[in-house]
Amino acid sequence: MHKRRNRAAAFAAAVVSTALVLTGCSTGGGGDTASGTTTVTFWQQKFEDYQGVWFKKYVDAFNKSQDKVHVDYQVIPADTWAQKLQAAQAAGKQPDIATTNYGNIAAGVVNGQFAALDDYMPAESFSDIKENVSSFVTIDGKHYAYPMLVEPSTVLYYNTDLVTAAGLDPNSPPTSWADLIDWSTKLTSGDVKGMTIASTAPDLGWSSWGLQYNACGHLPINDDWSKADATDPCFDKLLDFYKTLYQGNLIPQQPKVGYADGSPYGAGEVAMMAGGSWVIGQLKNDYPDMLAKTMVAPFPSIDGDQTKPTATLGGWTLTLDSKSKNPQAAADFIQYLLAGDPAIMADFFKAAGYSKYTVRTSVDEALASDPDASADPFMQTISEKVVAYGKQEPGYPWDVALAFGTAIESAMKGTDTVEGSLATADAAINDVITKQGLAGTAPKK
Amino acid sequence: MSAITPTETITGQVAGVSPGLRRRRAQSPRVAKHLRSNRTAYLMIAPMVILLSIFVIWPLIYAVYLSFFKISFYKGSEFVGLQYYMFVLQDPKFWNSLVVGIEFAAMVVPAGMVISLLLASFIKVLSKRMASFMKVTVYVPAVISTVVASVLFLFMYQDQGVINWFLSLLNAGPVAWLNNPGTALPAIAVPAIWLGLGITTLIMLAGLLDIPDSYYESAELDGAGFFKRTFYITIPLLKNILLYLFVTGFTAAIQMLDLPLVMTNGGPVNATTTPNLFIFNNFRGATPYATSFSLTTALLLFVVLGLISVLVFRLINSDKAVDG
Repeated sequence: MHKRRNRAAAFAAAVVSTALVLTGCSTGGGGDTASGTTTVTFWQQKFEDYQGVWFKKYVDAFNKSQDKVHVDYQVIPADTWAQKLQAAQAAGKQPDIATTNYGNIAAGVVNGQFAALDDYMPAESFSDIKENVSSFVTIDGKHYAYPMLVEPSTVLYYNTDLVTAAGLDPNSPPTSWADLIDWSTKLTSGDVKGMTIASTAPDLGWSSWGLQYNACGHLPINDDWSKADATDPCFDKLLDFYKTLYQGNLIPQQPKVGYADGSPYGAGEVAMMAGGSWVIGQLKNDYPDMLAKTMVAPFPSIDGDQTKPTATLGGWTLTLDSKSKNPQAAADFIQYLLAGDPAIMADFFKAAGYSKYTVRTSVDEALASDPDASADPFMQTISEKVVAYGKQEPGYPWDVALAFGTAIESAMKGTDTVEGSLATADAAINDVITKQGLAGTAPKK
Repeated sequence: MSAITPTETITGQVAGVSPGLRRRRAQSPRVAKHLRSNRTAYLMIAPMVILLSIFVIWPLIYAVYLSFFKISFYKGSEFVGLQYYMFVLQDPKFWNSLVVGIEFAAMVVPAGMVISLLLASFIKVLSKRMASFMKVTVYVPAVISTVVASVLFLFMYQDQGVINWFLSLLNAGPVAWLNNPGTALPAIAVPAIWLGLGITTLIMLAGLLDIPDSYYESAELDGAGFFKRTFYITIPLLKNILLYLFVTGFTAAIQMLDLPLVMTNGGPVNATTTPNLFIFNNFRGATPYATSFSLTTALLLFVVLGLISVLVFRLINSDKAVDG
């Protein structure tokens, strides 16, 4: 009998331990070790390769520079980021520090996801942030993220060889949407399309924010997020613009890559491209031969007025998780990497080929003494003519952006009329407002 | 089976036996053997029942419980009752994804079954060596990853891909197969049919080989051609196999995720957003609303798939073959 009970107990233990192994229940990583070192985890969403190299270099340098805090650095692919993070949050194993884009800060703060950095970092670290960027990470007077960079979402790139061959003047790029369609028509020849721009709803959802501001001066939702505003007639012109480019066969009908990837331009498959400033880094690294025949300009405006916004200023920050067990140690790393020695961030912008823009005055000063930065042919144009008029990315839920992106795609591909597409988007945005309780939740600075 | 109780079987008498006698009966060798075999059976199925309970039944019960909450990993979950069920049922994109799933299954399953039946009929009449070669050839797609197949077909559908190259020989195209709401779903159905051919064909072939040759010989003597033999002998005798393939194929097709995820990401304009992709894309919203919404959608999809399977079984009554 005793023997049988022992066997049953052993069997039960085996089942439970197998289940625990299979369900991945183990003691969590991070925390304090016996040697007194505090380990914090840092998840970085995978970006361009050079960024990974830069992050690793300075994580290693931080770990070597002291023995109180050890940063466990992990790179997570972008397409699995959301599900990995959610699974980790559900299991209570979320990273102490994570890369977060400006657009997700407001929603994260409402959800209680981020700790205010003001409690852990010195005040002078925040006064170094440029005033307009500071507002991107500030909610109710507290900083919930430390900004790393800004990058305008939409810049016009054009191939001067092809432009000249088509009888156009590369020194007088198109300034209005009508001009751009004219250039695209003249530059479309054989397998080479005149232009490339986003053409799928997920890409259009975010990449068209700047042009939404350009067409209407506002996004398709009112300021306090209580009502959709997608049926404003000015949006008709925006959808007509995209529709003309697509249905006129002026852009690739089946793009091989998404909006963020500049390889079709680099490979010479298109003569012009709407792309973020980050494409400069891609061209410098992957298509150096294209640099000499590439010029950049602000993306054309609805009416040719180049002081209207055409781009949103997106970018990345580091956030501190509100459930972090070692918030001070995690904040110390953020302070070291983003808010400390300006030379560290200056090194980042150099590695990026000056395709991204600084958020701290002290880093600007460090770069001013760098002859490569001042000699860069693209930096000045983008900084003075695009970034200067750029708008902040909206912080509303992605469903709102996707509804409007779907409206543009629907008009482009003829699934519905322009008016019908906008009416559908308006209803969808109102539905999001109701179901997600958005009314009155727009972040206050 | 007659209605004899165990007591009658053992003693040949009916009730009214003494407790002492009952105890002796309980210890009789025949009953002990019966109990022993029961215990062995329970032990053998125990691991599976335990694993199913841990990984299927408990998560399902817990998921239903969680669906009554607005889930937040930071602020504590808020009880909202059936609110998310209403949100999902009121969402036109949910119903659109179901329609897309059904359309996709309607393209993939019947076409796949017809092609497989033709292939299996063809393999059956081949010599042994040729039949082996054909079986291996047909089965190859089944061992190819869906992601690899998606990428292969992505290249084939490109403007400069092989399909548009063929069209160019006819002075037609290029067609934006994957970026046109009218052609995107059929374009994704093609690799799905190709991937499923191997297993379907082999199962059909096994069923065909089970049908006695004498049936066909008699029919041939009576002058029945290929189509008559197929419609009057093959299909009726393959009914159970066809039903199995139809139900499993339909539920697998309606749940397709990989192909539209890799090839179109659900576009253009949601034309290829299958139910699972709809759930997946919602889950990526990374907000408490998105988490609860995708969980509830998954549970409702589970109900819908169950109902479809029941409906298919009701429509096509399954009978055992009389002789085969």
